[in-house]
Amino acid sequence: MLVFDHVTKRFGANTAIDDVSLTIHPGVITAVIGPNGAGKSTLVNMAAGSFRATSGRILLDGVELQGLPKYKIARAGLSRTYQNIRLFDGLSVLQNLAVTLVPRSLPMLIAQAFWLAPGAGHDVRDTCMAVLHRLGIAHLADRQAGSLAYGQQKIVELARAVVSRPRAILLDEPAAGLNHTETDELKAHIQALRGPELAIVLIEHDMKLIMSVSDEIYVMNRGTLLAHGTPAAIRDNIHVQEAYLGQPGAMGIIEAAARGRRNRVRIRAGEGLAWGEP
Amino acid sequence: MTSEAAIAPLGRRPVLRAVAIMALMPIAVVIAGTFLPAYPLRILDLVLLYAILGMGLNIVVGYAGLLDLGFVAFYAIGAYTYALLASPQFDLHLPFALILLIGAALAAFAGVLLGIPVLRLRGDYLAIVTLGFGEIIRVLINNLDGLTNGPQGIARIDEASLFGWHISTPLDYLYLLVGLCVLTFLFVWRLQESAFGTALAAVREDQDAARGCGIDTTGVKLIAFATSATIGGVGGVVFASMQRFVSPESFTFWESLSIVLIVVVGGLGNPFGVLLGATLLVVMPELLRAYADYRQLLYGAALVLVILARPMGLIGREYGPSWLVRKLMAR
Repeated sequence: MLVFDHVTKRFGANTAIDDVSLTIHPGVITAVIGPNGAGKSTLVNMAAGSFRATSGRILLDGVELQGLPKYKIARAGLSRTYQNIRLFDGLSVLQNLAVTLVPRSLPMLIAQAFWLAPGAGHDVRDTCMAVLHRLGIAHLADRQAGSLAYGQQKIVELARAVVSRPRAILLDEPAAGLNHTETDELKAHIQALRGPELAIVLIEHDMKLIMSVSDEIYVMNRGTLLAHGTPAAIRDNIHVQEAYLGQPGAMGIIEAAARGRRNRVRIRAGEGLAWGEP
Repeated sequence: MTSEAAIAPLGRRPVLRAVAIMALMPIAVVIAGTFLPAYPLRILDLVLLYAILGMGLNIVVGYAGLLDLGFVAFYAIGAYTYALLASPQFDLHLPFALILLIGAALAAFAGVLLGIPVLRLRGDYLAIVTLGFGEIIRVLINNLDGLTNGPQGIARIDEASLFGWHISTPLDYLYLLVGLCVLTFLFVWRLQESAFGTALAAVREDQDAARGCGIDTTGVKLIAFATSATIGGVGGVVFASMQRFVSPESFTFWESLSIVLIVVVGGLGNPFGVLLGATLLVVMPELLRAYADYRQLLYGAALVLVILARPMGLIGREYGPSWLVRKLMAR
């Protein structure tokens, strides 16, 4: 369970996140939505250790993540994908996954390098290959990650995020830049991730994907939490529609637009409130 | 490709066969050495010494992707360790093998000392600080007259002997250096192929993403610095015993730069590349000796041409020992 407990983040005079509390339960897919600048990415980056919250706690299964270095947060069981893909371009797909399975202790690393401890080469390979099979990209195992198509790289990044068996996974706009077919494929993969132990956070702009894949939705706007509920409840929440999308029925327009555009949602509702890229 | 074995272990038997074939290379060098006259033999010794240093530096520069311009400091520490412990300077005459260990340990210690403050830095900043470290060690040696005899250096260093084997002629050194070269080669190859090599490769590709994958980047880089320094220290001990004279002049920034060039020209992250780089960069100036005044100019021009034509080095990263083993196994 990933918990944001009264988290506030200020950048100078700007309050990016204002007293936000979220609970992301294992076994479900929780989406966090909101227009640009709502504070979604700030939340992700704080949880992953890029910077600390001004106040509040971020707990993963009861362990405070604030103040831990990034690699320790990853070891505590939080993994993530990036808005703009960050694979190890020069390494093979298999190696990209293997990086997350490198032994944790430095003495162990040294011992393995000099045959003082048994290496885990076969096990690591099997574990990685199993994940690649599951995501349907086993045939790419030996390809150089940087040479793959954009959509494939997104899937590799997803594979890298899950291969270490995390407790929580943060998907930062996984569908951005994907075409219709690729998004459908991604949807199937995200649904397949669902497991009793894993808390999944989905940050997305693609409303169609969000509505079809998530179990719970948090709506953010300007650093505050606007609403929280099931997709159906959020869709019908007149408050959300009015206060943040500009006019009642805006959600329907957005979904229609998402279907029509097939890609990232980018429409204007009401008095020019933008959703998606400005 | 790096760290292939960590995730795709090669079968045992065919590997042994392939390694046996690769072993022909050092054997050929030794046989050729026995027939060479003294002068080319000494050049060959130097090639091997620089190959060892290059393979050591390659751990930091090639595998971890950190530009280290102060490598000569570790080389100097090794050299002065031998000079101080096996010369009339303090009338100490410890055995060569023991000093090899002491020199390696001291250099590793210096590597950690350098590593702790600089490893938070990246790119240019790291390069500048390591350069400074190299200079600090040289200036220290130059000025600690009581210990190092200052600019005059230390002369009349003991001849090396290893378990009763007197190492004095260039041919003796050829045997010693070929042995050390093979050991270093196997050492760095194994390092690259292990999980540690995978971690280094991740650091090289994207430090932040590596951290996000659970890699303790600072720790990993520290070990890389220490192992690299250890090899530099061993090289230094051998150098001092070979020259039987050390002075600060041997450890200037240009020495560091030469070793970086060996790695960069030969092939970053590839021990074969380093072997080729060491051969070219040691032999080329000797061949150009005939052109006296134009020597440096021609040497520089040749380097520029090589780097323009092959920016990733003469032998690419992917054509390393594992690649060769796979090729040999495939037959």
